[in-house]
Amino acid sequence: MERTQKRNPLHRILAIRGMGQVITVTIGLVVLCVVFGILNPSFFSGRNVGNLLRQVAPILIIGIGQSFVLITGNIDLSIGSVVGMSCMLSATMMANGVNPWVATFITLTCCLVIGIVNGELVARCKLPPFIATLGTMTIARGIAQIANNNYNTDSIGEAAEGFRNFFYYGRFLGLYNTIWIAAVLWLVGNFLLSRTRTGRHIYAIGSNPEAARLSGVNINSTTIKVYLVSAFCSCVVGMIICATSGMGTMDAGNGYEMFAVAASVIGGVSTLGGQGILPGTVIGAFIWGVLQNGLQFAGAPVAIRNIIIGIIVVVSVLLDVVLRGSRPRHFFRKSRPASGAEGKSTPA
Amino acid sequence: MKKVIWKKSLALLTIGAMLLFAAACSSDLKNPASGNKAPKPSESAGAGKTGSAGDSEKYRIYLISMDQMDQHWVNMDKGAKKAVEALGNVDYKWTAPDVKDDAKQIECINNAVADGADAILLAANGPDAAVSSLKEAESAGVKIVYVDSPANLPAVKTFCTDNKAAGATAAKQLLAALKDKGVTSGKIGIIGVNAATQSTVDRESGFRSAFEGSDFELLETQYSDGDAAKSKDVATNYIAQGCVGIFGTNEGSTVGTGNAIKEAGGEAIGVGFDKSDTILGLIRDGSLLCVMAQNPDKMGSEGIKAAVAALDGSDKGDGSTVDTGVTVLKKDNI
Repeated sequence: MERTQKRNPLHRILAIRGMGQVITVTIGLVVLCVVFGILNPSFFSGRNVGNLLRQVAPILIIGIGQSFVLITGNIDLSIGSVVGMSCMLSATMMANGVNPWVATFITLTCCLVIGIVNGELVARCKLPPFIATLGTMTIARGIAQIANNNYNTDSIGEAAEGFRNFFYYGRFLGLYNTIWIAAVLWLVGNFLLSRTRTGRHIYAIGSNPEAARLSGVNINSTTIKVYLVSAFCSCVVGMIICATSGMGTMDAGNGYEMFAVAASVIGGVSTLGGQGILPGTVIGAFIWGVLQNGLQFAGAPVAIRNIIIGIIVVVSVLLDVVLRGSRPRHFFRKSRPASGAEGKSTPA
Repeated sequence: MKKVIWKKSLALLTIGAMLLFAAACSSDLKNPASGNKAPKPSESAGAGKTGSAGDSEKYRIYLISMDQMDQHWVNMDKGAKKAVEALGNVDYKWTAPDVKDDAKQIECINNAVADGADAILLAANGPDAAVSSLKEAESAGVKIVYVDSPANLPAVKTFCTDNKAAGATAAKQLLAALKDKGVTSGKIGIIGVNAATQSTVDRESGFRSAFEGSDFELLETQYSDGDAAKSKDVATNYIAQGCVGIFGTNEGSTVGTGNAIKEAGGEAIGVGFDKSDTILGLIRDGSLLCVMAQNPDKMGSEGIKAAVAALDGSDKGDGSTVDTGVTVLKKDNI
């Protein structure tokens, strides 16, 4: 640690674990943007850049949540359903005249309960995360459906104009609020992961749970924390979707858990745990969003878009495996400390 | 020694039971209808000679829609219930998959047949997916009436919107409004649901054909699975590309179109389909020019009547398609 800090800033950035993959996909992202810009110059219009950033924001937010969970070596499949649940609960309350901020607060509480349930099931009850969150995924979707008696809601009304502006339509310093929300969540998430003890515990659990337990990490509470982060992020995205449409739709967020996995994995977060950084998740989310937006501008059919996204997911993970397999773990560092006791759990 | 004999006879018994079971299964496979209907002899007799069983019993009629979320299906259910009340001899149920999905809808059909349905009112999710399970239902004596979206199998009757004509009506409304605005050329965006939903595909082709010969450029259709938030992104992208008009082919895509135009301050003109509280609000504040409102209540009530007529033999149905029409909803008539 001491050693890396003495080097120049560029070296320090390159020495961060997982930075290699981030740089590779960033180059890919730039290439994509250039190609789309050539195909249709209005892709780079100021207006489209604003729209694009806003379209990426929800994917980034759920990507942050999923990255936290993936780094501990778990997975959260309930993300999409919690998005739908958040959208339906808040919309139902607002359509029935509840003050938007009260509705937001109640919805947030409900979503966090799902997060706690996920964490308890995985950490204390030792259920495989795939199964535990598969269960809560179905439950949360059921709650979304039952919220308004199995119907989509009516319009959330004039009183919710402030809510809609806060989460989607409003601007602050020229950028849409959605972008700011994503940026703030990302900065906080990044700080949590790379600068706090909880962050180091999250990496430690993902790298080697047994070693982490023996060195005094509270696995239970840390696991619950990452599921809470994931539920919080999903809740925010549900609000954004509700604000976008001005109504609640029961299938909102369908499949988002997999978008979140894709954004994380493209950005170099390992599904096996212990590896990945949030800057990677940003690039992953952008690759996803740029493809959605750019292929529409290029006039390509949707099927092509799905194929391309699928290929990119596979290739980026393959790249990671090949790079890690052919060299020592740190791609950009010349040598590793021999002991390895310090290296594995810390990102920086 | 005794033990061995005991074991042998047990094994023989087990094998015998398995063989019997296999035989039962294979006969089921050959004629699944008889398997499903077997526990209810009175009904299978009724199915053979149309009408004879229905005098004392109520007809069991199922409405199977694509999902139960859209207001559209709710209104169809209301219309069907009205007809059920008026007729008095129908035991009516509404069921649907939780999301638009071919496989789940097929399960709904199979469950309805297993529950002893006499007739099914079906809004087919896709034209082909349900055909084989519908054939099974038909051979079990179930009458099939299509509402909203038919499948590729002849049925008693079909009650639906002539979606091509309705799409063309939407196009004419849009063309007239663009002409009033002094716009005679430019890009037009279309938001579809997916490539397999016949009703929205027809609306799109009707819409496209009405634009033939004009100077407008119709862009590649974008699909958003009927999701209002996704549709909003698609519509926003269309507006950023400089579209002068956007067409939403169903409720969700119309809401998305309206919200995008509202945000952009009315740069493009939006037309769409279906009626809901949110859509009416968007028409009222001028974000949408108009929507084609179908008459799902009429589909529901006419569907029930046709099913009962086919069951009691008064009108066996000729497989014809009845257009239930659309109402153009604008600011001045809502």
